[in-house]
Amino acid sequence: MAAMTTRAAQYAVALRNNRMGLWLFFLSELFLFGGLLATRFYLWGDTRPEVDQVVGLIVTIVLLVSSVSMNIAETAMEHGDRRTFSIGLIITAVLGFIFLIGVMIFEWGLFPFIYEGHLKPWGDQYGAVVFGMTGMHAIHVISGLVFIAIVWNLGRKGHFSAEEHWGVEACAIYWHFVDLVWIFFYPAIYLIGTSVGH
Amino acid sequence: MSSRKKTKSDKVRTSLMVAAVLAVLTIVEYFVALAYSGAGVLLLMGLVKAFLVVNFYMHISRLWAPEEGH
Repeated sequence: MAAMTTRAAQYAVALRNNRMGLWLFFLSELFLFGGLLATRFYLWGDTRPEVDQVVGLIVTIVLLVSSVSMNIAETAMEHGDRRTFSIGLIITAVLGFIFLIGVMIFEWGLFPFIYEGHLKPWGDQYGAVVFGMTGMHAIHVISGLVFIAIVWNLGRKGHFSAEEHWGVEACAIYWHFVDLVWIFFYPAIYLIGTSVGH
Repeated sequence: MSSRKKTKSDKVRTSLMVAAVLAVLTIVEYFVALAYSGAGVLLLMGLVKAFLVVNFYMHISRLWAPEEGH
């Protein structure tokens, strides 16, 4: 009994430290993404490139819905519901993948037989900034998807419980951070300023 | 009622309500941008959305919750 109490106390201390570490990591990330936002406002001013508004709105809503499924997955694990946890993570990963594909096709124009993109990273300040911002964000989406895959696999193997699931919590918070960054990137790229034709 | 005592359905309901507010704000942002191209209002709406995500989805309050585990 005493050993169990000690273990629970040790876990609580580790949990507090882990949470603080993760938030300090986010603080460092704010400098990165804040720098990209500052670059956008410095180089574009009160203008923006001509981008597809409907695509921007759709991928934003997709990312938002993925945050809901991630939250439901995390809540499920908090209550020991492995099935909902697993389904929630899979839905989140699929939505994250759809977001990524949307950006790759409609913003980057990687598949010209589907959609001919007009922005090039080497074209002008608009292309450079759009690719810089969406590229750095996409790297975080990809790492989030890898994180989700690892956590899903560990959960499938019986790791995590209602009492101890820091990995799940960290994965969820990381995914919401990716959403948080997009909350500011979406208006910065798609909405703010007067559109200049390309 | 503390967050530890909330039932699963309470938490899911809160999550869905927050998502609904975020979705409405996102759509409002879109239509505001059609009429007004300035950054002020849109960044302010972004801050409101960010607060909701950080508070309800990222659980920032757990950072200073006394000895709260899982």
